[in-house]
Amino acid sequence: MSGETIDNYTPIYDEGNMGQSSKAIEDKLFDEIIGHIEDILLEDDFHAIQKNFLDNYWDVFEPAEENKLIYTNIFNEYTKAVENYIVNYLQKVIPHFNINTFLKHLNNKQNELEGEVFEVLSTFTDFMSFKEMFLDYRAMKEGKVQDLSYGISITSLKSCTNDNNSFG
Amino acid sequence: MGLLTVLKKLKQKEKEMRILMLGLDNAGKTTVLKRINGEPIDTISPTLGFNIKTLEHRGYKLNVWDVGGQKSLRSYWRNYFESTDGLIWVIDSADRRRLEDCKIELYKLLQEERLEGASLLILANKQDLPGALSASDIAEILELPSIKTHHWQIYKCSAVTGENLVEGINWIVDDISARIFYID
Repeated sequence: MSGETIDNYTPIYDEGNMGQSSKAIEDKLFDEIIGHIEDILLEDDFHAIQKNFLDNYWDVFEPAEENKLIYTNIFNEYTKAVENYIVNYLQKVIPHFNINTFLKHLNNKQNELEGEVFEVLSTFTDFMSFKEMFLDYRAMKEGKVQDLSYGISITSLKSCTNDNNSFG
Repeated sequence: MGLLTVLKKLKQKEKEMRILMLGLDNAGKTTVLKRINGEPIDTISPTLGFNIKTLEHRGYKLNVWDVGGQKSLRSYWRNYFESTDGLIWVIDSADRRRLEDCKIELYKLLQEERLEGASLLILANKQDLPGALSASDIAEILELPSIKTHHWQIYKCSAVTGENLVEGINWIVDDISARIFYID
């Protein structure tokens, strides 16, 4: 496996004799991008995307085994919003950021993608986790579960109202 | 393919397959799904949305998507094509009247770009009913031998008795794994 990974490396850059140093540059850029993504995952603005979806659609989701067709639309919209946010952010902070190059790097590093950031990112495309998140939120809204993380947050009434309406 | 989809693919630890189960309404898709998952099948009502089951089978993780087959729902099928490795087309073998309709819908799917390369398992279901057509009769009516775009196989089966379901699943899993996991 590792032999294949290395073989696949060079042609993408097509820089022949610069092989070594361009790989070092590529590694550095890659780590930088991952660092930014880690930052994004901690951002309030990023969490607001999720919160907006939950607030807009929690009552659409029902605790039944069969899924409504509309869940798929909401799910697709959600993954797109998350993805757009990440890509736009990276384009802002990294000069000449190119998503396709980054995807190639990811592919090359397939066997090195360890760490929480990748675990978190892969949950965004998991439909069942998505549905569960809504059902948990619904249960919380309906008072069936005490969710301290939402219960404790202190926001002024004014900005709270604005937040809730900002998505629709 | 977007960032998150690529990441998901790369992060798959187990060997995963995505299987889409379609067919006309009342073909028995949900009953097949529940039967292979070992669930009771006595309280199944027509599917208006979709069901997902994750099954472990011979070392593979199968994500099976079963989408309702009523006419009004068929235009939504396309929302589930993406990344499909295998298509299970379920047929009510006793419903001779609608076999022509069944054929039209099947051939529409085979033209879908996003289903290109998907293995096609046809389940001639409801063999427990009197008047059920045999698998070879159905293969002939649906002109299955003319299908050159997909690997296909037909199995007679009964979701009620469980007959031949495992054999069918074995075939599609083998066919997908031969394509996807052993090529490189």
